[in-house]
Amino acid sequence: MANPNTKFLVVDDFSTMRRIVRNLLKELGYANVDEAEDGAIGLAKLKGGDFEFVISDWNMPNMDGLMMLIQIRKDPQLASLPVLMVTAEAKKENIIAAAQAGANGYIVKPFTAATLDEKLAKIFEKLEKAAA
Amino acid sequence: MSMIVEEVATTLYFDRTFDCDAAKISPGEYYFTDKHMVIVTVLGSCVSACVRDSITGIGGMNHFMLPDSANADKDSPVSESMRYGSYAMEVLINQLLRNGARRENLEAKIFGGGNVLKSFTTTNVGIRNASFVKKFLKDERIRVIGEDLLDVFPRKVYFFPKTGKVLVKKLRQLNNNTLFEREEAYASKLKTNDVGGEIDLF
Repeated sequence: MANPNTKFLVVDDFSTMRRIVRNLLKELGYANVDEAEDGAIGLAKLKGGDFEFVISDWNMPNMDGLMMLIQIRKDPQLASLPVLMVTAEAKKENIIAAAQAGANGYIVKPFTAATLDEKLAKIFEKLEKAAA
Repeated sequence: MSMIVEEVATTLYFDRTFDCDAAKISPGEYYFTDKHMVIVTVLGSCVSACVRDSITGIGGMNHFMLPDSANADKDSPVSESMRYGSYAMEVLINQLLRNGARRENLEAKIFGGGNVLKSFTTTNVGIRNASFVKKFLKDERIRVIGEDLLDVFPRKVYFFPKTGKVLVKKLRQLNNNTLFEREEAYASKLKTNDVGGEIDLF
């Protein structure tokens, strides 16, 4: 497990889904979690805060998760921020688009706690390697 | 293990009674339209949410149940069971939003959750499904403007998204076991399959 104080931002337009992800993170030992209800609010929060990890839905009003991801990668302050997409979009072209936009991982809903755990571990491991 | 995915209903026909196109949805399916159509389903212990944009009239219906899990935490909000329910609701609502519905205009009517399946060992399947859908819509602040839940009879539900009208027929007598067989097949599919999608590309 990475630093338990890692600061997460969970971006999803469904409060139910934000609560699910927040609770799962808590179960995994991460309690430092903030939420945003769409990509625009998410991006504003990211620019204003010292977030270290983003978990985002794809389909959202105002700004969707893919657009937010593209904006994150364009922003020199945020460019290296790890972004995990958790979405109901299971089509191949969606997954390829997310990968091309620079997503660090992709989970298709409905997902299990184990999948989230595994994906987070994988991303943290890669980040550590890259930093070493 | 294969992945459980909510599918768009493919059973379309012309309904002579209502003189319009119709879509029939089975457990695990949903359908949405912005046209003058009727969406039809038969519910036992499953639930359906009929959700529409009250201004534009685009709307749709799903048909699902929560997976019956042996886990003690199945009623916790993060359980696999609840996550599947949230997913089933989200898939329908996302389709509506993507096709022009506005979240603040959404209204819902909810049906089903009858205590009709005798073979379920956990007695409160219908109640679980009904309370899940009520709580979900409350948490998401989507207005519920009509409901017909619980009781012991299966229901046939006709939803006209354009106008928001719903007709419900309580089926006090069934001619065959198709409904029960379908629901039980769906329940066991949810039980034996991993209700989690996983894709490894990165």
